[in-house]
Amino acid sequence: MSQVLHPIEKQIIKSLKESKSSTPEQLCESTKLSIDQVRRGIEWLKLKGLAEIKEIEKISVKLGKNGLDAKKSGLPERKLVNEVKDGPKPLDEIKNILKSDFNAAIANAKKNDWIQMEKDDVSSKISIKGSASPSREEKLIDLIGFDEKPQNDIEDSEALESLKKRPDFIAEILTKLKTVSLTEKVKDIDIDLSTGAIDVEAKVPATHVARIHPLNETINEIREIFVSLGFSEVLGNLTQSSFWNFDALFTPQDHPAREMQDTFYLKDLKAEKFATPSQINQVARSHKRGWGYDWNMSEAQRMTLRTHTTCVTIKYLADNKPDEARIFSLGRVFRNEKVSYKHLAEFNQVEGVVVGKNVTLRDLMGLQEEFYRRMGLTKIKFWPTFFPYTEPSLQSMVYNDRLEKWVELFGMGIFRPEVTKPLGITKPVLAWGGGIERIAMLKYGVNDVREFYNNNLSWLRSTTKCQ
Amino acid sequence: MPVVQLNLNRLQNLVGKTSNKNKIISKIPFLGLDIEEQTDEFIRVEYSPNRPDYATDFGIALGLQGLFGIKKGIPKLSIKKGNYSLKVTPFVKKIRPFVTAIVAKNGNLNDEILRELIALQEDLHFGIGRRRKKASIGIHDLDKIVFPITYTTVSKDHKFTPLESSQESTIAEILEKTNVGQEYGSILSNTTNFPIILDAKGNTISFPPIINSALTIVSTKTKNLLIEVTATDKKVAEDTIAVVATTLQAARFSLYSVRISGGTNSTPLLNPRKIILDTVFVNNALGLNLSTATIVNCLRKCRIDAIAKKNKISCIVPRYRFDIFSPMDLVEEVALGYGIENLKPSLPISASVGQKNSITKQLDSLSLIMIGLGYTEALNSSLVSKQVHIDLTNRSGTEVIEVLESKSQEHTILRDSIIPGILENLSKNVHEQYPQKLFENGIVFSKGNPIIENIHLAAISAHKDANFSEIKSILQSSLKIGFSIDTETKTSSHPIFSEGRTANILVNNKTIGILGEIDSKVIENFKIRVPVVAFEIQLSGLIFD
Repeated sequence: MSQVLHPIEKQIIKSLKESKSSTPEQLCESTKLSIDQVRRGIEWLKLKGLAEIKEIEKISVKLGKNGLDAKKSGLPERKLVNEVKDGPKPLDEIKNILKSDFNAAIANAKKNDWIQMEKDDVSSKISIKGSASPSREEKLIDLIGFDEKPQNDIEDSEALESLKKRPDFIAEILTKLKTVSLTEKVKDIDIDLSTGAIDVEAKVPATHVARIHPLNETINEIREIFVSLGFSEVLGNLTQSSFWNFDALFTPQDHPAREMQDTFYLKDLKAEKFATPSQINQVARSHKRGWGYDWNMSEAQRMTLRTHTTCVTIKYLADNKPDEARIFSLGRVFRNEKVSYKHLAEFNQVEGVVVGKNVTLRDLMGLQEEFYRRMGLTKIKFWPTFFPYTEPSLQSMVYNDRLEKWVELFGMGIFRPEVTKPLGITKPVLAWGGGIERIAMLKYGVNDVREFYNNNLSWLRSTTKCQ
Repeated sequence: MPVVQLNLNRLQNLVGKTSNKNKIISKIPFLGLDIEEQTDEFIRVEYSPNRPDYATDFGIALGLQGLFGIKKGIPKLSIKKGNYSLKVTPFVKKIRPFVTAIVAKNGNLNDEILRELIALQEDLHFGIGRRRKKASIGIHDLDKIVFPITYTTVSKDHKFTPLESSQESTIAEILEKTNVGQEYGSILSNTTNFPIILDAKGNTISFPPIINSALTIVSTKTKNLLIEVTATDKKVAEDTIAVVATTLQAARFSLYSVRISGGTNSTPLLNPRKIILDTVFVNNALGLNLSTATIVNCLRKCRIDAIAKKNKISCIVPRYRFDIFSPMDLVEEVALGYGIENLKPSLPISASVGQKNSITKQLDSLSLIMIGLGYTEALNSSLVSKQVHIDLTNRSGTEVIEVLESKSQEHTILRDSIIPGILENLSKNVHEQYPQKLFENGIVFSKGNPIIENIHLAAISAHKDANFSEIKSILQSSLKIGFSIDTETKTSSHPIFSEGRTANILVNNKTIGILGEIDSKVIENFKIRVPVVAFEIQLSGLIFD
């Protein structure tokens, strides 16, 4: 079998044939490859049985703390000699000067044959003997200097041993070195031979897939489910008059939800001809009757960024007054909220509506169940809740296996007669809907809703499409 | 949504001996309350602002007693005739014309109940009271007050010692210097006469809707209470006091009436309302076939009195349930009494065939083409930062549409173009591998009558060899293969694009967009380090109307 070699491998083999064994760093230098390439190449060669790695231990030496002091101001014995080079001095005086170094100084100076002792009746004196030329230890200290030297490079091993015996003169450093060498097998390979074969097992760079945004995947999936359940899509503007966003839904003009801290209003813009005169009159009368206040036209003309898609469905129903219909509306909605890991100022919502003479609350629950079933969610339950424009109102809870808890998803209800009657809608209207990001978060295991709008390429390029 | 913390032992005592904690916890959601947090001793539940009677455990206990069948029908208010009177002068007519009041005696207040009463008061202020504008409540120590009391007006120099203060202040000082004055003072901004409640000795009781007097402060030692509500609407005043009265009665206070006279004010009766409910109407809405007797029982479990008369049910709704407007609201009560958990979902057969909107279909096709050309879809907000969209792209923002009082600097204007958003995306991905190719389709906004919303497509390519020809080729291929549209390019200039490398995109001699190499200064503003090319076209009017 012909051996397929990567250019990196070939270069490493070439270099090792000359040097027999090298460290990866040495190979870097000889092949001009980067350290990563060399390491990868060695790994490949090892797997193919073409190279072997040996670990050897290398001992280096350098001067310890006392060694460095001696380098600076001399060994104790040199200090002693310096004291007596201009004439003999009494032993006690020297002792006072050298203090704890005294014993070592005397012993080594004697060993080097640098001094002699003169003893009289009263005291002992020390005087110099000969020229006191540099000792082997001193020479070694100078040789090592401030460097780190491989122990094997030091010729005077006797002096080294002697210094090692003195406390903290020499520090030993142990390093493990990897060296690479070729195995016998390489002999059979002609690295210059081109076989045309390639390394089919080698890793290849990743190709980035162009894709639909994961949030839009979820939106498309939801849209398809609505369509498959017989619903038709209605689109509407993101900017809406307060009339359709609030008034038509029986939200009183002084309701807290209409305040600027919850709703975005557009600066200096007023809606004109947003509804028919009869729609406006009827809604005004319904507010007067239900809430007991004088409805104000200019309040209804304020332009908002829609806070829900319901404004689109209610306008469709008011304009078309169908006796029988299944429609849905999907798109961006806005809330003047502080953005956080669970709240966005702008997000997607879907809302489905069923109009029919005989539609009931149980039908609404059934549609909901079927919708979730098609999303792959089967454990659901319903609780009562409150929405300003539906009665009765329910919320659905869906069990999430990953989070191991019940999660609140879509809300639902039957449009209040106070909403439908003034707009000439005579049949019951079932409505349900909610935020889409919440579903996408469950689907993609995203814990921070802002992630969907960061367009972080590493996320877009790595998130699995089918989940 | 407001939240109330409930001590489980207390709640169990209030509901009755036959209940137990686990049953209570599993029933709470079926009152329409969300459990936020649960420990062995307490639960925190979120309730809807339309049910302020759930602000205290007294109100929640009333609801649970019903669902458990311990006590059914309305918790009837028993108001004894009291020897108290409140006179209203004509001066309040133009400012805050209505007042109502009730006395609650012989109760025991502890810290828990006091805290709950204050929470109830705050909820009523916020919801039905519309942040005190429509109605506000004062709760006072009855024994500090000498009757009769008067609701009238005073000048800004009137002095009294407000709550949580030890010295007298004038009305003007309270409005200027206290937190509540600054927060709610605007309610009184159009007047030089200020509403005030004074007792027979001339002592100030309350300065509605701002603050009570320190004189009548309520503590755990207080046994007898005066509750007053001032309002701009008589019905709202009485609805509000009905909730407080019902709660205090449940807290074992005895209620006494306060005679009110002057203007169109009168002594509150707080009588329940009657609504006629049709059995067929209920069954049609719920998809059930319940007997009239069953419906009556369901309603009574929701603390509503109901009497069957053939197929009609005469319902007596207590005054504190002002969330009930019409028969449909009672249908929900029937559903709750029946038990939502007992409603079996049913799937109605569809007579219609569903379809996507034609615009959605076109956009889906276009997205597939852009994917095929190697472009990844980006999604950005349409409410964007002015700094990023206008300033960083070297443009002047005179025609942008701004929103009022945004809570975030990131969301101040409606986008007029998609390119700045995807430039910002590139700017946050400079450490990712190139080439980087993105597209986005979405709505952009311009001023019209009053606003024009158009759908745009933009694509952007960034890498070391990005150039004009590349992006022009992408533009032409996408429109040609998608919609058989031929495009031409004509030299133009634009602040985002580089001079001499910018072109208008024309279809049948009509400009539909712009194309080119992004100006080096703009690239620098976005801290991108490779050449960038882009195009943006208006799809509305081109591939759909």
